[in-house]
Amino acid sequence: MVSNAMRRQQRAALAIGALLLAAPFWSASGQTYQGRELVQATLVADVSAVVPGKKFTAGLLLHMVPNWHTYWKFPGDAGIPTELNWKLPEGWKVAEIQWPIPLKLNEPGDIQIYGYHDEVLLLQEMTPPASLSGSTVQLVAEASWLVCEKICIPGSANLKLELPVAAQNSGANDEIFSRYRRRLPQSWPETNVARANWQRNASELQLTVESAALANYPAADFFPVPEPSVVVGHPKAERTGAKITFRIPIETADKNLSALNGIVVFGSDEGGADRNAWSLNAPTISAVAPVMPEAFWKYLLFGFIGGFILNLMPCVLPVISLKIFGFIQHAGQDRRRILRSGLAFVAGIFAWFIGLALLLIGLKSAGREITWAFQFTNPYFVVAMSAVVLVFALNLFGVFEISLPQFANRGLLGWTAKEGDAGSFFQGVFATVLATPCTAPFLGTALGFAFTQSGWTILLMFLAIAAGMAFPYFLLSAQPAWLRLLPKPGPWMVRVKQLMGFLLLATLLFLLAVIGAERGVEAIIWSSCFFLALSLACWMKGAFVVPTASVTARLVSVMLILVLVLGGGWYFIGQKFAAAKTVSAETAAHGDWQLFTPQLLESELKEGHAIFVDFTAAWCLTCKFNEANVLEATAVRDAFQRRGVTKIKADWTNADPAITKILKQFGRPGVPMYVLYPGNHAEPILFPEVLTQSYVLEKLETVSAQVAAQ
Amino acid sequence: MKTKLLTAFLTLAASTALFAADSPAVGSNAPDFSLTDSKGNTQSVSQYKGKYVVLEWFNPGCPFVQKHYGSGNMQKLQQEFTGKGVVWLTIDSSAPGLEGYLTAEQANAKMAEWKTRQTALVLDPDGKAGRSYGAKNTPHMFVINPEGKIVYEGAIDSKATPNPSDIANSTNYVKVALDESLSGKTVTNANTKPYGCSVKYK
Repeated sequence: MVSNAMRRQQRAALAIGALLLAAPFWSASGQTYQGRELVQATLVADVSAVVPGKKFTAGLLLHMVPNWHTYWKFPGDAGIPTELNWKLPEGWKVAEIQWPIPLKLNEPGDIQIYGYHDEVLLLQEMTPPASLSGSTVQLVAEASWLVCEKICIPGSANLKLELPVAAQNSGANDEIFSRYRRRLPQSWPETNVARANWQRNASELQLTVESAALANYPAADFFPVPEPSVVVGHPKAERTGAKITFRIPIETADKNLSALNGIVVFGSDEGGADRNAWSLNAPTISAVAPVMPEAFWKYLLFGFIGGFILNLMPCVLPVISLKIFGFIQHAGQDRRRILRSGLAFVAGIFAWFIGLALLLIGLKSAGREITWAFQFTNPYFVVAMSAVVLVFALNLFGVFEISLPQFANRGLLGWTAKEGDAGSFFQGVFATVLATPCTAPFLGTALGFAFTQSGWTILLMFLAIAAGMAFPYFLLSAQPAWLRLLPKPGPWMVRVKQLMGFLLLATLLFLLAVIGAERGVEAIIWSSCFFLALSLACWMKGAFVVPTASVTARLVSVMLILVLVLGGGWYFIGQKFAAAKTVSAETAAHGDWQLFTPQLLESELKEGHAIFVDFTAAWCLTCKFNEANVLEATAVRDAFQRRGVTKIKADWTNADPAITKILKQFGRPGVPMYVLYPGNHAEPILFPEVLTQSYVLEKLETVSAQVAAQ
Repeated sequence: MKTKLLTAFLTLAASTALFAADSPAVGSNAPDFSLTDSKGNTQSVSQYKGKYVVLEWFNPGCPFVQKHYGSGNMQKLQQEFTGKGVVWLTIDSSAPGLEGYLTAEQANAKMAEWKTRQTALVLDPDGKAGRSYGAKNTPHMFVINPEGKIVYEGAIDSKATPNPSDIANSTNYVKVALDESLSGKTVTNANTKPYGCSVKYK
């Protein structure tokens, strides 16, 4: 190890010597301590000359005496990172420092630091302006560092990089630049190579990396790069086959912290020269602070309010009207019965939310990416929902009635339509299922908080939402006196019932549009065929399975109904629908919006452009509303255009995992989500879930004139 | 039902503190020690029960310590808070032969030279106290309340540089923590990342 380090150092010394002779246009500066030169600092470039407008890489080369080290961007338990402050002429741009993979160094007293021995080159991309006057440019920077062995000594130097200006250039300092470029962490590989998953367990963050590629390397480690406000302990690694789990204690009281930036380092041995690393989280995207929870009860309250507002959502309104309607019908009846039916409805709401919470907790611990309304990204779920909505509508139109209690237990058909407690219960379930894709304003924050939390918190959060949604029904059933405020029953009820049926058909149209967006026109046709068979079955039920019909007729009818439903389901859904292809994002028309890819966002951010990202999905009504009324409004479109904002549409209809990841980074469990990056690497602005034109226009004002001018 | 669940959750949240590694967590009991100071007196945390106690890890050779003593910043803090009845223990955990190790005489000389104002400079050459607190930096600061619980752990201030000119523009976390504690408030920023030289343990 020591001889290795010595060799490296000799090589570095040779390289520096060679540089000194070859390139006369830079100067070096040394840090001397008690007659010894501890650190020599030099600015170098990877080009022989500056070509106006053409990017190149500059580097700070630090050369340390043996056994002394300088620090990485996250220094670990002690020390401070090296800094480089450029004083650039007008029009120049400089990117962030690219840090080579550091060494993890242990000192007595369980002190762990990340730094470099012997030599390091910190790289920075420079963009010269499109026109340059003069025959040379002089780039000055102030470098400061801390160098430690047994003791620590801060050092600094005013450095100068002088390069000729030319129309063409060639490479320079190739050896050292290519050597350190090889040591830069790479971006995270495709998910089939490695998958990373974060989990928060109490005061510990757990990073699980699944990768067969990593299994070949005996040494694997995670080097965190926490935000300044976050204090982390030492990551500990556990390996089981191709899976590595890193446990990182979080010492600050930030309960909402759900992931860290950092690099996963691997190689044949710790500190070896052949080491590689993958960086986790694109630095541009992860710079976003998640929504901070202030108090748990406050989030429970948000959940409760959000649950209450779910009642007013367009997707759930028809079912809710049914329930109110049911209350009116019962108004003249026994109080106890009303209370029981109300409680059953409330129980249905709770049952669905508890079920959903348990499912989420299960999936979360199984390491899946989970977000709100995820069930709507499954086309079969949407088909099933559509079928239920249709059957409900036909029932309201009077096509069939469900009156036989023994039949009631045979299927969802009977369950939901049955009068009485079980019916009320399943009406509650049904109303809630329909409500989930409508992420009401408050609910977003509350759930975003919950999804980063433990299973208990998720359960509590869902209970709060359920309580909010159930609250008005509970009140009405507990206080039947208030029901008297509702109109008296009469023949008008039949008309209202039929009207509700049309409302449900409108819901069905919406669900069909979702199916179309997910699977294409063919899928709409095949699922509609199934719905026709289903309608026919409902009609047969209403016409022939009646108490007045003979037993044989009833039996035959039931057989035919089963054939229609099961056969239609098997053929149209199981065969034809399943074969319909998923619509690829490219086929959809998106106007002046660009389709989201992580690469597009990253490159636009790097350029410092102003960007607006619309996170949307075909099944999201709120998204559609915002798009039609705000984002596509003339005033807003003009403002985007005037300010040169790049508009990106991130379509989450089919649960694109890359989009899921970004939603999570912003602490949001689902769509809609709107993010404005004001440009010039400023902090992104998260918009509320319900947009207004004036709000968007006001926020667009923050896009700087400089960016707009570009 | 709901209150029960809420209680369960709160218990869960409180118990998370137990899992925190390295330094004892904020809110937990301050580890006790019994060490000799530069004047030959025995110093412990437990003997100051009923008072606020500041622990400051110290190494006179460290540029980050020099930043705060050379500028008079540390002495000013020591004077202000010892004047308000706070006990200030400066602890040197450097091992013999390593940077910052002080004999009792050297310690007294340094205190006179730097005109320090702490209650006592405690010598911990074995690093026992330092390790039990997970002290990793000089300076590394702890504030202990009259009940013997840690209420602040971390950096002296918000600017992690060795440059004394940064002191004027930085937030002194220890001062904020003590001011809040003394006026009966909870410390808002109770845990920060300490910065400085590593403690020179054996």
